[in-house]
Amino acid sequence: MSSVLVSRLPNDIGGDPAGRVEQVDHVLEPWEKRCHALADVLDFHKIINTEEKRRGVEALGSEMIGKLSYYERWIVAFANILFQKGILTPAQLAFKMAEVEKRWTCASPP
Amino acid sequence: MEHSSDHAPHAHDHDEIAIAGHAGYYEIMETAVRELLVDRGLFGADEIRHQIEVLDSRTPALGAAVVARAWLDPAFRSRLLANGRAACEELGVTFYDDTQLIVLENTATVHNLIVCTLCSCYPRPLLGLPPDWYKLKPYRARAVIEPRAVLAEFGTVIADDVEIRVSDSTAMVRYLVLPRRPDGTDSYSEQQLAALVTRDSMIGVIPVLLKNGVQAP
Amino acid sequence: MQSPSFQLRIVPALQEQPAFCVGDVVRVLSRSPVGHYRVPQYLRGHIGRIDAVLDPSAVDNEEEGYGRNAGSKRHYYRISFPMLDVWPHYAGEPQDNLLIEVFETWLEKV
Repeated sequence: MSSVLVSRLPNDIGGDPAGRVEQVDHVLEPWEKRCHALADVLDFHKIINTEEKRRGVEALGSEMIGKLSYYERWIVAFANILFQKGILTPAQLAFKMAEVEKRWTCASPP
Repeated sequence: MEHSSDHAPHAHDHDEIAIAGHAGYYEIMETAVRELLVDRGLFGADEIRHQIEVLDSRTPALGAAVVARAWLDPAFRSRLLANGRAACEELGVTFYDDTQLIVLENTATVHNLIVCTLCSCYPRPLLGLPPDWYKLKPYRARAVIEPRAVLAEFGTVIADDVEIRVSDSTAMVRYLVLPRRPDGTDSYSEQQLAALVTRDSMIGVIPVLLKNGVQAP
Repeated sequence: MQSPSFQLRIVPALQEQPAFCVGDVVRVLSRSPVGHYRVPQYLRGHIGRIDAVLDPSAVDNEEEGYGRNAGSKRHYYRISFPMLDVWPHYAGEPQDNLLIEVFETWLEKV
């Protein structure tokens, strides 16, 4: 029944069947750590509070949640929320991303 | 409703973002968002840099110091159990968010286990960032329904007559397990005690062991 | 601190004081919100006992997730549920318990 898709959030998994706990961990990449710091600073300023971030990640939907990693979900959620709040527009972000990518691609190798 | 397990990110070889073409889509997005918001004056670039330093300074060693002090000082232990955040602040651990801390003591009759089924709530100001397994589906889904089986996967067997209490963190409270002090540590200094306390013992998936692997009763 | 020996007539604001006390038996309501929620499905309709009243009262996190940085303030409660009551086929021991924080508007006294 489709209503289950609406009434049950994709992160609400307590009690679901699941496999073995594999004790995996990884050292955060620099951008992931910056993303975590960004989340904290956004929360300090109440630009995006922590609960909004949670809600924003839920709103990505099952497929994205399943395919994006933890911090990938955060940054996409932040982008969406910033658009919703009228702080950024999709075009502004897209232009900036293109500029950043160009800047890095043109950077001389170390 | 099933959804595919989230995956731990694959390791990258680079530390410098200047390496041509190796920055991923999301890294570019993070940089772009940050630069746009700094340009707009919503916060300073220095704030991000500073918060990275804050995050780097928060590790399980802080939690271990709190546990060791609680083992040695009964009055501190009482204060810790009454108000976890205030007791941590006594030791200089500042909480940079609005979370509270409840410390749950393991005893001969009660074993505590912490999970966040809905997301990844974890006492970050005290312990630093949680391990990937804590944030992935198997632990989050199963810790609340089959804690003893999950503990067994960590090599931890809790006796049949001991109560397991699983705390599912959903709001502004964060949890720290106060593990049992191992026997044979009467002569240990505070520093030596703290060195025994692991992150996983403060989540509750393993007990604190002596270095030779002897499990606390 | 000793109460004054004279009578003071103090009327608390609506919802200022906790609705429930430690030891109260409460039921988690069974509603199905659309959008952000923080009460897992596995607990809906279940009966538990108040283990602690969390002070001070705080903003409803389900409202907080929608970014007003504001919302109704009430108490959260740490509630204990016997595992055997939560899960029909619980394979652990009968004395095992599950504890979780729940916002006041999700609870009713039994």
